[in-house]
Amino acid sequence: MVVGGPVLIVIADVIIYLLLGKLGKRSSGKGNKYQPFTGGEEDIAPRGLYQSELFVFATLFMVVEAFVLLLAGSFASPTNYYPLLFLMGGGGVILLVTWWLMIVGGVKF
Amino acid sequence: MINLQIAEILLFPGLTFFVWIGFLFDWLERKTQARMQGRRGPILAGPHGILQPVADFFKLASKEEIIPEVADKFIFLFGPPLFFAAPAIGTIFIPVLGPHAIVNNEFDLLFVLFILAFTALMATMLGYAAGGRWSIISVGRLVVQYTGYEVPLIVALVTPAVLAHNLSIDGIVAAQQNLWFIVRAPLSFIVFIIATLAELEKPPFDIPNATTEIVGGWMTEFSGRPLGYIKLTKDLSYAFLSALAVSLFLGGPLGPVLFTNSTLQSLLYFAYFMVKLFAVGFLIFTIKTALARIKIGQAVRFFWMVITPLSLIQLGIVMAVGW
Repeated sequence: MVVGGPVLIVIADVIIYLLLGKLGKRSSGKGNKYQPFTGGEEDIAPRGLYQSELFVFATLFMVVEAFVLLLAGSFASPTNYYPLLFLMGGGGVILLVTWWLMIVGGVKF
Repeated sequence: MINLQIAEILLFPGLTFFVWIGFLFDWLERKTQARMQGRRGPILAGPHGILQPVADFFKLASKEEIIPEVADKFIFLFGPPLFFAAPAIGTIFIPVLGPHAIVNNEFDLLFVLFILAFTALMATMLGYAAGGRWSIISVGRLVVQYTGYEVPLIVALVTPAVLAHNLSIDGIVAAQQNLWFIVRAPLSFIVFIIATLAELEKPPFDIPNATTEIVGGWMTEFSGRPLGYIKLTKDLSYAFLSALAVSLFLGGPLGPVLFTNSTLQSLLYFAYFMVKLFAVGFLIFTIKTALARIKIGQAVRFFWMVITPLSLIQLGIVMAVGW
């Protein structure tokens, strides 16, 4: 159940989320109703681009920290299987998510 | 046997149990805050308003979901259940009815550390996917705050593992049979509670969702079911982190053995666990209510200049003394 338990929870979670979707209606489109909240100001700012180096370093920090943590935690492992699994699973997920954040934000390398 | 384990994972002492604890914490927090501010707090839904968080959740779930024009629609809609999944998965590694959790392996503490990182990352993703100006500002604050509290949080969590020579939560709980780790590593416990406040975005570290400055923070654009799910995740994280503190520093459900009957003893373990859980929960929401918000620079400086050294000193002492 080490793998089955989390998978079971994710499945139950998604099913409940989809079922709850039946309670309320969903809408998307264009116009004032669908603009982000501006606090009463007229000009709606576009999505900000990642121009700040600090923010890029912060996201990189998250990735590197996860890798270091996973490697450091493997000290008691009897085989290479667990640290590799954690690296591939955990580190991979964080890397992909961070990559998404940077691409959507328009990061310039 | 497998059916029983599935019921344990989904119902008790797994997901559903912790969701209800989260609701209960939400209600207690509101009540405590109200009493400390001379108000009555929730009174309408259920006795003394105890069902108010449940009513709020279903009210939100039944409202219209408005997807902003600029939002990344997929993440905006399906991010909230992923955000919820992280602490939900963590709950099955917490021992509640005895020294063993429903699911355990020799590295589950590592998995929990990953879950904590993933929760912060999902919040960042959700805020950025929404695309509003307040969300973007909030995400910046969230990431900066995260870089401040994450290191001491991890050091504080690793200290019990070093004390127990074990990376499994079960193993750490078992190592506290005679003496709780809060006695052997008190600084780590303090650091953990402070970092928990930051992880949960509670005062004085509610900087990413400072209502008076940036509306609803990274949650500003969310409505209906996604918002309900995000709020539910926050309640669940509250319960999960408190339970983690109980497991790593207060001996988990362990306590004096009074019965030879295993069922009665399990109930006693459960009672020990609940008392400790509510003590930690009460500690967190009392601190939260008593303190005012600080600035982001002050928070990061505080974490790097005070909290991180404290956590490292405690880890150093533990390693040097060889406890």
